[in-house]
Amino acid sequence: MNTENDRIPGAVTEASTSVTRKYLIFISDGLKLAIDAEHVVEIISQFSITFLPKTPDYIKGVFNMRGSIIPVMDLSLRMGKAQSTAATLLLVIKYRGTQIGLLVDSVDQMAELDDSRLLPPISPASQPFVSAMCAIPDGSGTMLVLDCERLLSRE
Amino acid sequence: MSSGNDILDMYLYETGGLLEQLEETVLQAERAGGFSQEDINEIFRIMHTVKGSSAMMELEKPAEVAHRIEDLFFILRENSLTQEQQEHLAALYELVFRGIDYFRGELERLAHAAPLTDNIDGILNSINALAQALSGEKENQKGCENEKNITDEAMTAGSTAGEETVCKDHPCRLLVHFDEGCGMEHLRAYMLVDAIRDFCSEGSFSFVPSDVEFNPASAETVIEKGFLMGFADAKSRDKAISVVKAAGSVHSYELQGDVPTPENKPVKDAAAEASAANGPKAEPNAQQNQAEVNHKESLISVSLDKLDQLSAIVGEIVIAESMLISSAELQGVRMDTFSKNARQLRKLTAELQDISMSLRMVPVANTFQKMNRIVRDMSKKLGKQAQLVLEGSDTEVDKTIVDSIGDPIMHMIRNSMDHGIEDSPQIRQALGKDPVGTVKLSAEDTGSEVIITVSDDGRGVDSEKVLQKAIQSGLASADGEYSRKDILNFLLMPGFSTNSTVTEFSGRGVGMDVVKQSVEDLGGSVSIASEEGMGMTTTIRIPLTMAIMDGMELSVGDSIFTIPISYIRQSMKVEEADILLDSGGGEMIKLHDRYYPLIRAKELFGIPKGADAISDGILIWLESGDISYCLFADRLLGEQQIVIKPLPPYLNSFDIKDWGIMGCSILGDGNISIILDAANLYAAAGKN
Repeated sequence: MNTENDRIPGAVTEASTSVTRKYLIFISDGLKLAIDAEHVVEIISQFSITFLPKTPDYIKGVFNMRGSIIPVMDLSLRMGKAQSTAATLLLVIKYRGTQIGLLVDSVDQMAELDDSRLLPPISPASQPFVSAMCAIPDGSGTMLVLDCERLLSRE
Repeated sequence: MSSGNDILDMYLYETGGLLEQLEETVLQAERAGGFSQEDINEIFRIMHTVKGSSAMMELEKPAEVAHRIEDLFFILRENSLTQEQQEHLAALYELVFRGIDYFRGELERLAHAAPLTDNIDGILNSINALAQALSGEKENQKGCENEKNITDEAMTAGSTAGEETVCKDHPCRLLVHFDEGCGMEHLRAYMLVDAIRDFCSEGSFSFVPSDVEFNPASAETVIEKGFLMGFADAKSRDKAISVVKAAGSVHSYELQGDVPTPENKPVKDAAAEASAANGPKAEPNAQQNQAEVNHKESLISVSLDKLDQLSAIVGEIVIAESMLISSAELQGVRMDTFSKNARQLRKLTAELQDISMSLRMVPVANTFQKMNRIVRDMSKKLGKQAQLVLEGSDTEVDKTIVDSIGDPIMHMIRNSMDHGIEDSPQIRQALGKDPVGTVKLSAEDTGSEVIITVSDDGRGVDSEKVLQKAIQSGLASADGEYSRKDILNFLLMPGFSTNSTVTEFSGRGVGMDVVKQSVEDLGGSVSIASEEGMGMTTTIRIPLTMAIMDGMELSVGDSIFTIPISYIRQSMKVEEADILLDSGGGEMIKLHDRYYPLIRAKELFGIPKGADAISDGILIWLESGDISYCLFADRLLGEQQIVIKPLPPYLNSFDIKDWGIMGCSILGDGNISIILDAANLYAAAGKN
């Protein structure tokens, strides 16, 4: 816990040299969350989810993306909140070979950010799925960078 | 066994195949009591190819071993065994088997990128000793009737390529020059030789430098002087020219010695005579080679990856077709031409499906043949007499299944040999049995599953002993009552072994439970039947869960499930009054004078909506192996051909497979249906 970088797990640890990344900022349960645009496969608004029994609550089921079966995760349930009624958009991401659809409220904007501007999250214990935070360049607020590794971990 | 290296993969694949062929030839020879001339030629050819390809892969040690074994069979080919040498036959079989095991070990190491065995002196010494014993007083005939001798001489002489020339018996010469700076000239030259060997027998052509196969330095000579080949007649040379033309990096070639010089002539006649004398021997060989060339051309090997891709695409086409034909816009519209064409399309896709599935099917024969060796080795080691009877070797199963059933079958055969067959022929005779025990391995395809059975006519399972052992290992309680079937099932439990001493072959306390595990991984089941004193039969049933199958769709609440038709015995509507309760509150139903448990899909899967009253839904009677029960669902939606899609790996971490969910399939309207597995579903309901 010496340097700032040590406290940022996941995709942004190699930030010693300044790297500029594109982030997709989206809204889930009133929060502005961000994900490295590199991991984003597709944003889908028309989909039908098939319920899959015997999975945790936050797995809403599976859906058919052009012949591929993709699991759907309710992001707000996964983050320990109530189910968001406004979640109407499916953000399909691919992280380390795993494709998954995240059920989110809406997409906000794309932002280009230098890694050096990322700050460690405040009270990381209470928000395990956030790896960093940062002010959005256009001044519209603060974004929380999603930790895909933790999100997909099988604890 | 993929190593990510195409050339290496090809080497591993081809050499593995050759070793299997070799093993079978030797096993046959052993049964027949000696090597026929054909066997010897076959073995010689196999070892030669192994030698060549090993050398190309720069695997010196395997090439050396292959070279020595080849020498050994060269001696055999040239000098038939005298009476007193017949006694060496047993040693020869052993040695070849040892050689096969050595190569298999090395292939395994190569596949896993492990270092090869460094010390091969043991096997080389055995080969040399045997070679000396076989050749005995008979001196190797000198002369140039065989290219081999030249090679050997050249190698001992340290390759003085300058003075080397091709054999005088081969007056039709061909000098090949390779492109300047193309590199690896010696191997390019050797590849020509290898191709020419397909139609020229060993002795009928020679080449200079003769050590291109092993000596990288010979590349210099090839660059400087060209690569000179000599043939017995112009016809062979013409064929060789076509080979040379087809080869890459050949700059030019020239013909030499077309018109035989006077002093050459008698030599040529002599050669002709010699070949005439050799006629009966050389002819079948050539024919055999020819047949093999043709055989090779009609078969190709394709990587499994490509077949998987093909299956996936065909699956997509089937879905796309059914989506197209059931398009909502078409409902109620009458279009004769469209319907006709749609039917034609359906027919074609069905055919395409059948063919793409048949591509993945391979006969179990190869796996079965390997068991001959196990039975042979174990009979020798254990002093038992046994024969292996194979049935249904031509049964075809999916390639992935063939790959995974080898080990289970081997375990079962070993068990039969070790525990089943009585200790000596005398004991068997005293029991009134044939002194030679029989282990039978059979395969059968019932259309919905493959059934593999291993049975022996040995002593069978001693229930008392098994029960004692089960109690000792804590699998059974001392005061419990167990049926014979329960007792046999103990054999399949982890950590169970009736043999108190651990033998080399089985009885490590693993074994049958490993068989059970690997078969269950394939979605199959294992069962044991045995009558004391009469032998034991182990049956493996593997469902043919191929990518595409017939399924019955049913609905529970808003969810749609698919059950493979092969599991469904019957479906029926029943009334509340037909349902009985057991003491634990479980529901049962009586069908044909037997009672079957009832499982409600709605409750098992916690589905919010759906029918609760028995009379509102439908019962589906399912059977899988020994399991038989009824599943309660809302409605049957109809039969459909479905494409099985595996669940996303991420979801596997939630162990939903244990709940009887084996995959998904995409329905005609693009929605997803969940495929249920009858056996796991039953097990899950038991846990609940």
